[in-house]
Amino acid sequence: MSYAEAVGRLRAGTWLRLKAVDRTLPVWIGAALFLIFLMILPLGWIFVTSVKGEQGFTFDGYLQVFKEGALLKAIWQTLIISTWVGVIAVVIGALLGWLVTRSDLPFKRTVRALVMASFVTPPFLGAFAWTLLAGPNAGELNKLYRWLTGAEGHLFNIFSREGLIIVMALYSFPYVFSMIANVCELMSSDLEDAANILGARKWRVALTVTLPLAAPALIGGFILAFLHSLSLFGAPAILGLPAGLHTITTQIWALFQYPPRLDLAAALSVPLLLATMALLAVQKKLLGRRGYSTVGGKGGQKRLVRLGALRIPLFLLVVGILALSVFLPYWILLKASLAKAWAMPLTWDNFTLHNFTFTFFEYGDTQNAIINTFQLGILTATVGTGIAALIAYITNRRLFRGARYLTFFALAPLVVPGVVLAVGLFIAYTRPPIVLYGTIWILFVAYLTKEMPIGFSQAETTFKSIHPELEDASRILGANRLRVLKDITAPLARSGLIATWCFIFIGVIRELSASILLFTPKSKVISVVIFDLKEEGQVGVIAVLGILLLVVSFAVVLSVQWMLAREVVATRE
Amino acid sequence: MKKSIGLALSALLIAWSATALAQDAALIEAAKKERKVVWYTSLAIPSSTMLAHLFMNKYKGIEVEVHRSGSQRVLQRTMQEISAGIKNVDIIHTSDAGHFVLLKDKGLLMKYVPKAVESFPAGFKDSDGFYYGMRATLSVIAYNPKILADKEAPQAWKDLLDPKWRGKQVTAHPGYSGIIMTHVLALVKEFGWDYFKALAQNKLHLVQSANDPAGVVASGERPVGVNGAEYFYYKTLKQGNPIKIVYPKEGVPLVVSPTAIAKDSPHPNAAKLFTEFIFTKEAQQTLADREGLYTGHPEVTYPKDKPVLKALKLLAVSPDELEKRNEEIKKRFVEFFGA
Amino acid sequence: MATVSLRGLTKRFAESAAVDDLNLEIADGELVSLLGPSGCGKTTTLRLVAGFLQPDAGEIRVNGEVISSPSLLIPPERRHMSMIFQSYAVWPHMTVFQNVAYGLKLKKRLGGEIEKKVDRILRLVHLETLAGRYPAELSGGQQQRVALARALVVEPQILLLDEPLSNLDANLREEMRFEIRRLHEEFRITTIYVTHDQAEAMVTSDRIAVMHQGKIVQVGTSDEIFDRPRTRFVAEFIGKTNILKGKLEENRQVDLGAGLSLQVSSAENPSKGAEAFVCIRPHNISLLGTELETREPRQKGYNVFSGNIQRRIYFGDAIDYIVELPAGQLKLRVVAPPSQRYEPGQKVFAVAHPDHCVLVGEE
Repeated sequence: MSYAEAVGRLRAGTWLRLKAVDRTLPVWIGAALFLIFLMILPLGWIFVTSVKGEQGFTFDGYLQVFKEGALLKAIWQTLIISTWVGVIAVVIGALLGWLVTRSDLPFKRTVRALVMASFVTPPFLGAFAWTLLAGPNAGELNKLYRWLTGAEGHLFNIFSREGLIIVMALYSFPYVFSMIANVCELMSSDLEDAANILGARKWRVALTVTLPLAAPALIGGFILAFLHSLSLFGAPAILGLPAGLHTITTQIWALFQYPPRLDLAAALSVPLLLATMALLAVQKKLLGRRGYSTVGGKGGQKRLVRLGALRIPLFLLVVGILALSVFLPYWILLKASLAKAWAMPLTWDNFTLHNFTFTFFEYGDTQNAIINTFQLGILTATVGTGIAALIAYITNRRLFRGARYLTFFALAPLVVPGVVLAVGLFIAYTRPPIVLYGTIWILFVAYLTKEMPIGFSQAETTFKSIHPELEDASRILGANRLRVLKDITAPLARSGLIATWCFIFIGVIRELSASILLFTPKSKVISVVIFDLKEEGQVGVIAVLGILLLVVSFAVVLSVQWMLAREVVATRE
Repeated sequence: MKKSIGLALSALLIAWSATALAQDAALIEAAKKERKVVWYTSLAIPSSTMLAHLFMNKYKGIEVEVHRSGSQRVLQRTMQEISAGIKNVDIIHTSDAGHFVLLKDKGLLMKYVPKAVESFPAGFKDSDGFYYGMRATLSVIAYNPKILADKEAPQAWKDLLDPKWRGKQVTAHPGYSGIIMTHVLALVKEFGWDYFKALAQNKLHLVQSANDPAGVVASGERPVGVNGAEYFYYKTLKQGNPIKIVYPKEGVPLVVSPTAIAKDSPHPNAAKLFTEFIFTKEAQQTLADREGLYTGHPEVTYPKDKPVLKALKLLAVSPDELEKRNEEIKKRFVEFFGA
Repeated sequence: MATVSLRGLTKRFAESAAVDDLNLEIADGELVSLLGPSGCGKTTTLRLVAGFLQPDAGEIRVNGEVISSPSLLIPPERRHMSMIFQSYAVWPHMTVFQNVAYGLKLKKRLGGEIEKKVDRILRLVHLETLAGRYPAELSGGQQQRVALARALVVEPQILLLDEPLSNLDANLREEMRFEIRRLHEEFRITTIYVTHDQAEAMVTSDRIAVMHQGKIVQVGTSDEIFDRPRTRFVAEFIGKTNILKGKLEENRQVDLGAGLSLQVSSAENPSKGAEAFVCIRPHNISLLGTELETREPRQKGYNVFSGNIQRRIYFGDAIDYIVELPAGQLKLRVVAPPSQRYEPGQKVFAVAHPDHCVLVGEE
């Protein structure tokens, strides 16, 4: 059935026909058009700007990118860094994912929660914390190292390519983790058992059976981590720039400085876009249509692998990894927020609450930024969940012909790193017909665009779990589509949509890479303030704001979990 | 006769000051109606916040919205907004005098002469009356005395080229800071680009703001700052941090940071009032006392432990040259230092 | 009061026709089953009737008024139909009472009336004690009854059932068949019942429409369909059958080759020399042990074949034999009462009356 056709025929229509047309149609069409507009405008402008010269069409931008050593070097550095981040993230993520799902590792739930914590931690904040931990001279860890060994010099210099790689890997591995954990949970032990019966030893089973089964997920995870690090801006700016290291994202940002070279920024964005698209295509091919759940089937039993003598050493290794991504960074942030001089021990003399009072009551930017951030967070999460839900509903229920192509648009921002998106939005919304630059609305649009994929896939999963017949049953009894949404779909989708809201909200309040190009003084958000302060070395205030971000994020995650837990109980009653 | 002339003169004086007062009152009235003034500034956060509060206390009801960033960022922001047709900024203040040449050329500044600047030296004034030096500072060398003994510490710009400092120095960035932009130009004129090429061999730690090296040196992350805002080093030192400032004999780059009112200022009266205010002796003396800055105000006195400017060999650069060579400086710096 | 007529109904999915030029007339108060294997288009047909799908060609009329055509689609909510789904589609966030009352609320009935009607229907499906429960606390059969009650309480013009029993276990399924028939006899709502289970269709329906590849191949009462299948497909789909291939001769004779020939019941369009398929139900063949016994049937015009028992399977209430006819290398399946015992390898005579040898079409 095609609503488009129905509309077409309406033109010649009679009253009878009008009566027959679904009156909810405008809602669906409206949502679809909004989405398409949202995606096409910025991306279209990037392409146009990248090939637009003084006199019409030109490839000069691209030529210059490949002629200019600095830009070429940035591309090269980015590739090296992202590859390593991908590899390390896969090693850590796969190990933890497997241990948590398939082994008898102690404290598995806690480990999971802590991986979630590193997922929630904004990478730029982690990077900042690591400057305090492993600056070659003043870094706490290097000081500890000198004190312990009496050596001069440093154990590790975080302001280096290696440092950048490690920090980015620490905040990218949760992506791999969740993929692997999913696969391991779906994989039945039957296959492993079969190998066991054939006489293979435990570790050999893991290597010859489990690993190959997980291979698509591993490669998929690599690509995800690679893409994630490709799109990061804050971490390379904080750790790379001091070492004279540009990545594509920091270079694009630098091209925005006065006098702005939008043409170059756009030309540099396009290869990044194409690379991302290509990799996602590869990933999709590898994982197949049904995603990574193809492995194994869910029927089989799962038994935990006994780690034996390796149980404790492996546990310590896990603790070590989590220390690097969560414990140490959080501790140093807390210390820096409470210290007069962060590099000194936190004695009573060095203790102060001034950072908090200054941040919240004196420094003009913070209050404004906090308000902006949460306003944008709530607004984007609410509108985003709404639109994502409508779009997911359309594609899931195939409400009109071609509906599935909307999936493409909803997921398109996945291939657009935040900085690139910002370039497109900046060009698109600083000129008529829609001038949004200078207001928080351009950030709203940016966040809405950037968070659409996560919102959409969350909502899609939610609707997939609601059998269409539940809705049909309501319609046939006399409810129109909107009524069905209200009476049946919405209540059933509620918990899923709350989770979607929460995902978007957390994504928004930590967003830096697009905000950094789009903010104006009036529309500063917390992440931008942190970045600004970083450029001025205001450690204490950054720490306070960082803690604020983390506290709010965790509060949201926990309250949603609590709410969902109640929900489950309620429907069971 | 003489007496009458005297009377007439004093009457004239009284009348004149009365009109002046009336003018002031009118300005304050108009400013209060506008309720606020938006200040894009490169003055360090604590200093600009302090100045804003001083103003707000004096003129209740007028809010000062401070937006602090690096000089180059302030300019970028301003230009971006102008190109997008956004009228937000009232007062622009950066440490890169070249910016004001550019802004003036593009017709983006409002002509306004605050009363107090009459007595300021020539280096603080635009001859056409568009911008004035609100403050001055130096770009200096600094080191951490807890880590380095005075004997081994660098005393001159050329000392910094010694390979023994490899991995031990920090520099701020001319692509962010106007002070460093001025610094680089001054030293390039003195020693040529080769100086920076050689300096870059020491693998410097790159930070953005000219204020940031103070923290980096004080924390011991890098014991030597090869440049940086003197006033911020001084402030950090005064807070009890381990810092020693070196004023090289070869000459010290002098950075005069101008301020100007935007042509499309949405709160022109408040902007004028604020501009008047920051050039008063009161405000200028506070900048000197509490922030360790130098000013163009002839009556301002400076802390005893700060060198008198006249005693130093100052390296000054012209705003025009700064404007002209801005691109070149940024480009070559990135070429040598990597980012 | 509603008659339904489907005329030339066609629905394509990605170029292949799920429903292909389908015609069916359903009388008022009649229960018609759409019976066929999965993928035959029966559910698509039902969803076309419900208005969830729009036809690519043809039309659907209710009481003579068009409700679906390629240019018109009255949405499901305005068709005054009820539907019972394969998944029951009982809403998990509503109690049994709320589920059943929902349709009445949509029709803006008054509270007291709703309560009375829901109570009555819940008693009818024996759920009156469970009104306050949530579906998660009910068994499959109970959920099924909720779905039934919910569909019936609104007193629909037309009731649509989509494999309503396929998710129930065997015993319950059998019980529910009769329940559905009982309810139909009570309410006499025009009903379309989709199933792939012939027994279900036979118990519940007034008429059965057998579907194959998007078309209705035969419509009729249970016995018509069973005894007079029109095509090989119908014969094979409904019940067990022997299909013998041969050439049509004169006088309702079919030449099976290898010297065997067969007398069949009346052929509708006898065209000499055409390829023919003959359907003989296994229970319509008797086995006789001796030549002597065949004399009488032969005289009465029965078809008699000699052959050997090739296989025997004992089912308790019947014995299933495979008889090999030596001449044509044909095999016949025969269901005999358990009293008739023959050993594998034994020579027997298979006897079938021409009336039970039905000529069917290839398709």
